[in-house]
Amino acid sequence: MGVLPALYPRELLWAFDIHAAEIWDPPGEILHANAHLQTTICPIVKKSLEFILKEPQIINAGYLFPHTCDSLQNLSTQVKDLIGVSLPVYTFYNPKGSFNNTTTKYYQDILKNFQSTLEVSHGPLNPEKLAAACVLSHKIDSHLLAIQQARMADRLSLNNVEYFKLMRAQEYLLPIDYLNLLQQVDLLEQPFEASKARMMVSGILPPPPEILEFLDELGLSIVADDLLAVSRRIPKFAMDSPDAPLDYLTDRFFVLPPCSTRGSDLDERLHYLNSRMDESRAQGILFDMVKFCEPELFDHRLLVKTFRGRNIPVLTLETELDHHISGQDKTRIEAFTELLFEMVSA
Amino acid sequence: MSIRAELKYKIMKDYGAPALMAFQDFRRRKPRPIHEAFGPPLESNKRLKEILSRHYFLSRYAPGVKKVAWVTSGAPVELLRAFDFYTIYPENHSALVGAKKQGAEYCGIAEGSGFSQDLCSYARIDLGHMLSGKTPAGKLPKPDLLFCSNNICQTVLYWYKAIAHELDIPLIHFDAPFVTTEQTEADINYMAQQLQDMIPILERVSGRVFYLNIFEEILERSMETSRTWGAILEAMKAQPAPMTIFDAFGHLAPIVSLRGLPVAQDYYHILMDEIDTRVTHGIGAIRDERYRLIWDNIAIWYKVRFLATFFAERKMNFVTATYTNAWAETTGYLDVKDPWKSMAKTYGQIILNNNLKHRLDLMKKMIKTYAVDGMVMHSTRSCKPYSVGQFDLRKAITADLDLPAVILDADIADERVWSEQQIQTRLEAFCETLEGSKHG
Amino acid sequence: MADLFFAGVDVGSLSTDVSIIDHSGKVLAEIVIPTGVNGSQAAEDAFDAALKLANLTRDRITRITATGYGRASVAFATGKTTEISCHGVGAHHLFPKTGTVIDIGGQDSKVIQIDSKGRMLDFTMNDKCAAGTGRFLEVMANRLDLDLDELSSPVNIESKSAPISSTCTVFAESEVISLLAKNTPREEIVHGLQRSIVNRIWSMVTSVGIEGEVTLTGGVAHNKGLVKLLEDKLGLTLNIPENPQTVGALGGAHIARRAYQNSLEAVTI
Repeated sequence: MGVLPALYPRELLWAFDIHAAEIWDPPGEILHANAHLQTTICPIVKKSLEFILKEPQIINAGYLFPHTCDSLQNLSTQVKDLIGVSLPVYTFYNPKGSFNNTTTKYYQDILKNFQSTLEVSHGPLNPEKLAAACVLSHKIDSHLLAIQQARMADRLSLNNVEYFKLMRAQEYLLPIDYLNLLQQVDLLEQPFEASKARMMVSGILPPPPEILEFLDELGLSIVADDLLAVSRRIPKFAMDSPDAPLDYLTDRFFVLPPCSTRGSDLDERLHYLNSRMDESRAQGILFDMVKFCEPELFDHRLLVKTFRGRNIPVLTLETELDHHISGQDKTRIEAFTELLFEMVSA
Repeated sequence: MSIRAELKYKIMKDYGAPALMAFQDFRRRKPRPIHEAFGPPLESNKRLKEILSRHYFLSRYAPGVKKVAWVTSGAPVELLRAFDFYTIYPENHSALVGAKKQGAEYCGIAEGSGFSQDLCSYARIDLGHMLSGKTPAGKLPKPDLLFCSNNICQTVLYWYKAIAHELDIPLIHFDAPFVTTEQTEADINYMAQQLQDMIPILERVSGRVFYLNIFEEILERSMETSRTWGAILEAMKAQPAPMTIFDAFGHLAPIVSLRGLPVAQDYYHILMDEIDTRVTHGIGAIRDERYRLIWDNIAIWYKVRFLATFFAERKMNFVTATYTNAWAETTGYLDVKDPWKSMAKTYGQIILNNNLKHRLDLMKKMIKTYAVDGMVMHSTRSCKPYSVGQFDLRKAITADLDLPAVILDADIADERVWSEQQIQTRLEAFCETLEGSKHG
Repeated sequence: MADLFFAGVDVGSLSTDVSIIDHSGKVLAEIVIPTGVNGSQAAEDAFDAALKLANLTRDRITRITATGYGRASVAFATGKTTEISCHGVGAHHLFPKTGTVIDIGGQDSKVIQIDSKGRMLDFTMNDKCAAGTGRFLEVMANRLDLDLDELSSPVNIESKSAPISSTCTVFAESEVISLLAKNTPREEIVHGLQRSIVNRIWSMVTSVGIEGEVTLTGGVAHNKGLVKLLEDKLGLTLNIPENPQTVGALGGAHIARRAYQNSLEAVTI
């Protein structure tokens, strides 16, 4: 099943033996999508539509549109009701609100509804499979948390390119294969010699490999992240082993780090970012903003103001998810590097 | 609540505001000449201006007397009315700023403070107002509470969050799940429960107790007002239509921002009477109505007069719109005997929170029942829920109903988003097609 | 440190500038030539011309910092630094109380916040679009048959200014064409165009914030009209270097000098 960004009960899909192939920034030029979408729509939506219009054979179980933002919301119904695809189109609403009786009850209700919907085409759910899926999810989370911790403490010897390749592998690997991959990651006992400068990145997606490579060349290490595709999907802390699957899935959703797409409180976001910065001893922060991304852009101003107020260097890049790095962006990154190194030596 | 403030408010309400209206009346320069293509202007315009001016004028005396709330256009305001909040609608205020062609100025303030130019212009204008205190309405009170619902867009949540943080005041958000096919029981229960959960916070902020019977009264009034508004819009089925959608853009202000209050209810009776009279006597909004059009999306506030004149000159009248219809379409779901769930149905199913199949069917129905000959779609940079999908809606409608349609790229309130050449060319081409298709 | 010389080479998209200084920071030569299509060649030519002016040979230059868009192509450079750092350092040496640098180049504009030592604290760049750069004026001058001098002449701030609302150069162009067609007086259009650029620059400045004195660099600093309007909008007097175009190269030269001094200190420790 092709799954659009961002948050969805993947365990439920796994329980039905549905492989979630996430669609974030599929490669390829945007051509046909322009006939359906205005120029001021974000590249994630455009690239996703381009991908769907190609009718890729790899997707055979349908498309799932979690509710993330206005553009993706409308894309889901545009694809389903106007453009039309030969496969089923599912949606999943993510409640915008914090943990309380009302939101948790609703989340459980929609999980049950989603289960019923999937049962129509995939047969009745085997409760043991769901339980197993939750256990698998829990294991993956545990490894990811450990890897995050190791990264912040310089006990992970992967460079930027390797690190985010590992993080992004979950978008296409089968969960069991992803778990195997994570288990093979070498976490050092002792920290190695720290890189020359440490930074954090915030946004939707990690910078493309071209930029990550450039950062590696410059000696800048991304030691923590606040990315929707990466850390914002990993629970803030280790959860207890799953007992009742629906409870586990509900709790897990509400234990995720704050995110602009969930309408998280700004103080919560600031608190999370500040604690990440402190824990990882990052010296600067890069906001890698997807062009036209409204939820991120509204929060962005306050986040930048706060960090600049703390005298922490901030760099904002705007990306259209092309896999290339412009001369202008290289200059910006280099200037940011100069800033960080001045601070480190001062 | 101080006695002095209360007294001042009362004096202003009963004497100050009417005096101001009278003074403005007296000072009113010779009215701007009406283009000859238009029929006689609506008498009700005067009353409309009065009640809106009065509402803004009085707002500055509200602090200390009533708690002030900033509210989104789709929010279930009836609940706030039960606590007697003085409501300001930033979207209405931003539209006002846009209509005065001051949008860029206010946006500039927000942009200078660090907000991206790619954000909704209603939001940027409101943030510009909040940061500077500037307003064409003289003076606006600071809010005590923010009340929003994402049933019109998610953006309002991000926007109001930013304000809540800046002003350090509570934000209540009514989360309305998007209707993919139909509202589910889970959706309705969720929304109904949220409304009830809000009561303790509203009591605390307002200092007033919630009385169900008062709330029901307000709900009744709101329903009646919405029904009248709906009837006014229906009256535009008449040929010639007694009003133009451009008029309606102005006349929808009370149903949006004064809904639930007696003043709005009374106003629409006045307007309904005038509309009925016009229909009876065959008085049209434009002198020679040859073509009837449908408008999709919000108004281009800084070009309303220009567009109204452009089309009137060509004997084209906008007789229906998806935007104005939004505050009448779902009223039928309201039920005083089941307030919470019925509000969930009403507010959860408004057009922007509903799937595009629903929108397409609604638009086709409107085109048929209003005898529409052509469609103009405003593709607004600011509003994703309204604009994403328009290209395909247009295709589906023109294919099925064989009527000319044009898309105008512009914005709701940022006058910088306007390419004179492009718009002019598209409008003229549309008119040629329309004139050709109807008579060719 | 007698008789040591340092150079900065700024290879921009329009012009290539070189600045040669001695160990005390005294400027010995400054050169500005068009970059043309070959930045590498332009760097060589400009460097040679500067050397000739300073009466020096290549081997006498201890360190050379390359900066600007084409910095990677300067074969003879001993170090590379972004033009952002270089403009900051250059402005600092010309006006030591500078806290904010506004650089309006031919194709981009930037605002840089620096500390009391000339080190960069924060910056913002507008390099994706022509509005707010020298290019904007060029486009307007070319298309509308106006003199660049005419566009540079100071206007009476109180006088009428034709509103040019577009943020995009292309759309602003068509707005100006319409204004001309309606016989709008040229002074009003010039005023409007100047205001348009100033507004763009002003929003960049406010996003970084004004600290200390403000120094204006880049070719557009020669535009007296813009300077006047910008000062009025910002509510302060701007520091204008005698050679606003070579500030980046000057900064590069100082950075080269500093790098050399640091290396000496490292050795002596």
